[in-house]
Amino acid sequence: MNRRSFLRGVGLAWVQGLPPLRRFAAFPSQPAAPGFRLVDVTASAGIHFRHNSGAYGGKLLPGTLGSGCAFLDYDNDGWQDILFVNGMDWPGHKRERTTLQLYRNNRNGTFTDITRRAGLDVEMYGMGVAVGDYNNDGYPDILVTCVGQNRLFRNTGKGTFVDVTHESGLGGRQAFSTSALWVDVDRDGFLDLFVCNYVKWSKEHDVFCSLDGTHKAYCTPEAYRGETCWLFHNRGNGTFEDVTASSGIFDTSSKSLGAAMLDYDEDEWPDLLVANDTQPNKLYRNQRNGSFKDVAVEAGIAFSAEGKARAGMGVDVADFENSGHAGVAITNFDNEMIGLYRASGPGYVDVATESGVGLPSKDKLGFGCVFLDADLDGALDLVAVNGHIDETVRNVRPVRYAQPPQLFLNGGGGVFRDASDDVGPDFQQPRVGRGLAYGDFDRDGDLDLLMTTNNGPAVLFRSDQWGGNRSIRVRLTGTKSNRDAIGATVRIFHGPFTQSRMVKSGSSYLSQSELPLTFGLGRFDRVDRLEIRWPSGASEDYKDLTAGRTYTCVERKGINSLLGF
Amino acid sequence: MTGFPSENRSPTVGLILGLAITVSAVVAYSLYISRQISGLRALQNDLLDRDRRDSLQLLRIQNDLNSLALAMRDMLDNDEPYPLAAWSSQFQRIRADLEDALRKEAQVAVADRTPDQREYLRSSVAQFWDAAERIFVLARNGREQEARTQIRLSLEARQAALSTAVARLLVQNNESEERATAHVARIYDGVERQVYRLLAATLVAILVTGLYRIRSNRKLFAQLALLSDQRSELAQKLISTQESTLRYISRELHDEFGQVLTAIGSMLTRAGKELPAGSALGEDLHQVRQIAQNTLDRVRTLSQALHPVMLDEAGLESTLDWYLPAVERQAGITIRYEKPATPMTIDGEGAIHIYRVLQEALNNVARHSGATEVWVRIRCSALEWEFEVEDHGSGFVPQGAKRGMGLVAMRERAELLGGRLEWLKPEAGGTLVRLRVPREKLGGHGD
Repeated sequence: MNRRSFLRGVGLAWVQGLPPLRRFAAFPSQPAAPGFRLVDVTASAGIHFRHNSGAYGGKLLPGTLGSGCAFLDYDNDGWQDILFVNGMDWPGHKRERTTLQLYRNNRNGTFTDITRRAGLDVEMYGMGVAVGDYNNDGYPDILVTCVGQNRLFRNTGKGTFVDVTHESGLGGRQAFSTSALWVDVDRDGFLDLFVCNYVKWSKEHDVFCSLDGTHKAYCTPEAYRGETCWLFHNRGNGTFEDVTASSGIFDTSSKSLGAAMLDYDEDEWPDLLVANDTQPNKLYRNQRNGSFKDVAVEAGIAFSAEGKARAGMGVDVADFENSGHAGVAITNFDNEMIGLYRASGPGYVDVATESGVGLPSKDKLGFGCVFLDADLDGALDLVAVNGHIDETVRNVRPVRYAQPPQLFLNGGGGVFRDASDDVGPDFQQPRVGRGLAYGDFDRDGDLDLLMTTNNGPAVLFRSDQWGGNRSIRVRLTGTKSNRDAIGATVRIFHGPFTQSRMVKSGSSYLSQSELPLTFGLGRFDRVDRLEIRWPSGASEDYKDLTAGRTYTCVERKGINSLLGF
Repeated sequence: MTGFPSENRSPTVGLILGLAITVSAVVAYSLYISRQISGLRALQNDLLDRDRRDSLQLLRIQNDLNSLALAMRDMLDNDEPYPLAAWSSQFQRIRADLEDALRKEAQVAVADRTPDQREYLRSSVAQFWDAAERIFVLARNGREQEARTQIRLSLEARQAALSTAVARLLVQNNESEERATAHVARIYDGVERQVYRLLAATLVAILVTGLYRIRSNRKLFAQLALLSDQRSELAQKLISTQESTLRYISRELHDEFGQVLTAIGSMLTRAGKELPAGSALGEDLHQVRQIAQNTLDRVRTLSQALHPVMLDEAGLESTLDWYLPAVERQAGITIRYEKPATPMTIDGEGAIHIYRVLQEALNNVARHSGATEVWVRIRCSALEWEFEVEDHGSGFVPQGAKRGMGLVAMRERAELLGGRLEWLKPEAGGTLVRLRVPREKLGGHGD
């Protein structure tokens, strides 16, 4: 018996000793047909974004990792707009000018490119995006992470954005930043900023790596030194203070790609989960005094069940068991499978294999991942987009560069079903997926998907429900809490069932989904009770809500419903 | 009469002995294997598994030391916009993991770790963290350059020394693991040898037991065949004796008593003629003559019943022609008689046995079946004669050991003829007795 098989045996014995998963959705098991289709409406919606990685044959490391996308309502008209982050040509290899792209929702299923008008036609080597109203003026602002200097764009409220990177105190920093998220870590009502950095890289010191020993390939991060993540405290006056060191976030060994906010210890103080590539994942527990402590190892989420630091890419956190306790999904390199962690006591247990997510994802290299109720049955499903980092991989291993995304439908009882082939041919196309976000752009009460591909076109999947399941949507506005209510938890009760969601920024990979919350109700046409826990600590209860509507709730000012979504 | 050979003994003792030897071998082997497995388990728990767990913790320590080395490199590179004190939390994180790993490593450390090694590891780690704390104090006091110098001069050297010590322990563990693995291999080799030995011994035991069983069975079959032959011979002798006795009595009755009674009858007839008509004595003589005639008839009938002289004189066919109507009259049943169109030339011993079998079958019908109709069929094919007696009465099935002497005699007679006797159940109910006899045993023809 070698050490590997010994460890595998220990891991299996440990997994077999676990109690059975009984707390997944208590809804009736779903039928074989998922009840909806995902239709590629990119072209008909007027979206023509194509990512420019700057690839010219040099195989520079950032070229294979971008980029992200976001659903945001930049003009506060109640319709989700779309932002794409773009790269650019490398110096000395200039071919075209590429910038961010902002698409305004025309409220009829189509979008208009208003990048230039909005002042976002800025050239940068962008990677990710985080959307949040950091100055609480009611309009979402945009943080774009870059290779080089990150950019903060303040929303003027007049349809334009202003680059406030330097005046906000975020200037003067060069790094290889990836995912980012807005989170009010000290619950003072102002969103702070958490930024992931990947490795210490520069074009001048790019390392030669090869898969076949001859041709240059994109490197894995072992070739580079790690870089600390950053935490910027919002002073409340439009400027930020770097608290990376004082908060205990500082860690030069990290090679971070994905980040998610969560309340790991359920103390209503936001914690942070960071997916690291070939380094242990980090779980920073908020110690409620401005500092964090990494508890990833004792929480069981730093390593795989075999004790290996996997290549963490994207991450999402959600109550996929409807137990009131959030679990975690982390996409990894091919041959490592998705890590699906269920909350267990004070920590997590990887249940990817027994849940049915592990094996189908083993030959995929996953990036963006989101929990969402795709079929509106009340149980959160999981979507992951996949794609390898180098097209030459097929020369050395039976793995494809372009890989189809995956949809895992939650059947309750701890079991997911790979339904990727059941939601229409558009979704089955192999792509080099990277960013992934969800949002209800057509306001029909279900969640549409937006994905980006590396050096390729973006794809907008419209969800067309035909199964008859119903939903409600909840849009929160903080007053004492941060205006976006990021960090608020909403719990609904209908019949014998309970669901909970958190308003969150970040998650997935380089991307951000919409802030309004969507609850699938299955065949229920009412919600008995809706409970909101605001980041300020306040809580509110509302009763008898009708399905098929969006509810808007302003902290301490009550709730209103729209006729429809 | 031939007796059993004196060397014939029951095979049970030999078989039990073989079984006992086999069971003993299996039990002994099981005990041996259990002991070896216990030894392996102890070896794995006490040595191999513990060694592996220890190595895992040492690798974890090594990883932490490497992380410290990388952190120190970053601190010395001075390309971060953070003060040296910023690395404090990173150091604390590594320290927490390192101390946990050291604690667990101490719990599972292999037995041959010397006290000096333990003390060296403990003190080296303590000195490293003491030095690190002093460096962070310097950094917090704004003396970053001096702190960096201390990292370069002291902390890196301590880290390297620790790393070397841990590497040495890993090598030691590896050697220990190799020794244990070799020991395990020797145990497996021993077990493998024993398995082959047990397999060979079991095969030999099975072979010996099997051969002994075959030999015993052959003896048993020979004895059974002998017994069967003896029984058959006895039965034939009994039947032959019975037939000769019956023939003798029959002839005596027919010849002696028949002639005497015939003479008495003649004499009484003559005496009666000499008396005057209507005398009382004449009437008495007439009655005596009637009695003598009746007795003569009964003697002749009894003689025919015991052994039809007709069989010897006219053969089976004529005898049956006479016998079957007699049975009809005596038993009050109707007999449907079918026989070959051409004359049957069955006589001698064969005719007697056939006659007896048919006689016994008809007797059974008359006594037990309650039938009023019976079919007697005689058929002859190229190979065999077939005789059948069928009734549709209450039915009759011979019950093994309970069958009477008549049935036993029927079967014996069939065997004497080299034939086969069957009791069958016709679809209409009742009983069908069928006797098949090879043609060469009876001769004659009927086709």
